[in-house]
Amino acid sequence: MDAIAILILSGLTNGSVYALVGLSLAMTYNASRVINFAQGDFVMLGAMTTVYFATTMALPMFVSIHLVLLVCAAGGFLIERFAYRPLMARNAQPLTVMIGTLACATIMTGAALLIWGPNQLFVPNTFSLNSISVAGITSTPQQISIIVTFVMLMAGIWFLLYRTRFGLAIRAVGVDPNVSKLMGIRAERVVAFAFVFSAIIGGMAGLLVGPFLGGHVAMGIVLTLKGFMAVILGGMGSPFAAAAGGIVIGLLEAIVAYYGNSFYAEPIIFGLILLTMVVRPAGLLGEWEATR
Amino acid sequence: MSTHFLRNWLPALVILALGLGLPLVIESGFQLRLAMLICIYAVFGMGFNMLFGLAGQLSLGQQAFFAIGGYTFALLQIHYAVPWPLAMLAGAVVCAIVSLVIAVPVLRMRSHYLAMATLMFAMIVHDVALRWTAVTGGSSGLQIPSPVLFGVRLGRLEIYYLILAIAVLAFLVQIFIKSTHLGRALEAIKVDETAASSLGIPVNRYKTSIYVLAAVFAAVAGMSFAIVSRSVDPAYSTIGMVVNLLTLTVVGGLGSRIGPFLGAAIVILAPQLLAGLQEYETLIYGVGLLLFIIFVPCGLAGLIERAGGASKAGTAGTALPVGSLPEAKNP
Repeated sequence: MDAIAILILSGLTNGSVYALVGLSLAMTYNASRVINFAQGDFVMLGAMTTVYFATTMALPMFVSIHLVLLVCAAGGFLIERFAYRPLMARNAQPLTVMIGTLACATIMTGAALLIWGPNQLFVPNTFSLNSISVAGITSTPQQISIIVTFVMLMAGIWFLLYRTRFGLAIRAVGVDPNVSKLMGIRAERVVAFAFVFSAIIGGMAGLLVGPFLGGHVAMGIVLTLKGFMAVILGGMGSPFAAAAGGIVIGLLEAIVAYYGNSFYAEPIIFGLILLTMVVRPAGLLGEWEATR
Repeated sequence: MSTHFLRNWLPALVILALGLGLPLVIESGFQLRLAMLICIYAVFGMGFNMLFGLAGQLSLGQQAFFAIGGYTFALLQIHYAVPWPLAMLAGAVVCAIVSLVIAVPVLRMRSHYLAMATLMFAMIVHDVALRWTAVTGGSSGLQIPSPVLFGVRLGRLEIYYLILAIAVLAFLVQIFIKSTHLGRALEAIKVDETAASSLGIPVNRYKTSIYVLAAVFAAVAGMSFAIVSRSVDPAYSTIGMVVNLLTLTVVGGLGSRIGPFLGAAIVILAPQLLAGLQEYETLIYGVGLLLFIIFVPCGLAGLIERAGGASKAGTAGTALPVGSLPEAKNP
């Protein structure tokens, strides 16, 4: 019983990170119809800038967090302004735009390599890493903070999307960018917001999961892939579906690794996702995007 | 007729002449190896270019067939001592069968879903290659005996001509496909599947055909790569492989005939040229790629075609409405 609880907790922790990457991918995709290959690199940026501000500059953690999120927001803004916009202005094909975000991911990795070098770095923890016991389950405040942040973000995003005017605009652009433009919605603002917001979420994930994963300049692409998996499993249509997909993948990883052969955990999960896609091509919770 | 010649045969002749003349100019084995890699990536790119550029089916899993081809080729030679031309044929057949089986569920999906499903398939193949150590040799991979033909061990130059012949053959197949009914039907499918099927085009059958063909191209490229590098390892199916594939397709020019050759040359040569920059290499490569696709959205082939179109418009005088032509840029 205790083993299962620990299993679920570690699954939820990893799942929350995948979910955060997945939901930011879905938000960007719904606003701009672009799969942002640089999404995982924002997690990398979040982890690495935490090292920079909290360890190298020795700033207080509270100040560091704000600076980290600011740097990530700036990164998202730069990608939207200097990669997405110029490409859209030239009527680039979707694949070309995707290569554009890939180039941005390469630039981020390259810049991080110059600043932090190729070694794995220890990322300072925001919350305590001392184990605490809640209802018989042993955990650390840092681990719990990941899950709590994820839940709070979900609530915040739900409020933003369904209870504000701007959220209505975001959802309208998600359904049809062209029609929403005709309705007077400034679609380009929604796109800019989606890029910046996703970058901040990525940075937050990096900040929180950094102490567990360790900071490495090449960690981005792996997390982008996990985000892809979350999006595929849950569905591209909404950030919540993508987040649910991420949680499921986190739990599956933990369970398969524990009960099955951890060596084959990864291919088994890929197989399960592929199988899901065959049965439900638009994802488990896919709604309006179902074109089959 | 002349435009037909210009579009199809002139580039083929130029590539053939360049390829045949190259060994006279370059002497080091390393440079010859780079030329071979360009040919191999061009074949790989041509398959993808037919699948996505012609038929509009985005697959991010072509590296799986690159690897399956390579491993089949290696295993048949190592365990059953199959002569390499036969092993090559077998590798292509195996990939065709695998892609046919995969195509049935996967090709029902469209756009990004298809891309993601094929990527998942490729990840499974990569994991199997990495983890099934007993058969695939794990991360260290398998060694392949050097190719022998009629009892003579092929030297570096012979292998080069073999790879060149494969690339030229692939180019001819590509031109042939584009000129057939299948090619035109696929272009219709790319524009609108429903409309295409209402015109009596068997959409699923044609999509499957081009998917299998692209898989065979990838397999041939993988096996050629295995001949050149004398080994196969899980690097064949990494995500980096498909990133290279996408980059060369976009840089070369999407849907263009000679695009894959031009793109492959850039993807292979750019890192060599940038290697002197050491730690700045990754950053400069990224910036270069971003600037390139922003300012040359149609790729190198598009650039050449535009230059050709502009000079033709110039010689034809005012008979052509110049305003309807895309703005010409100097290459």
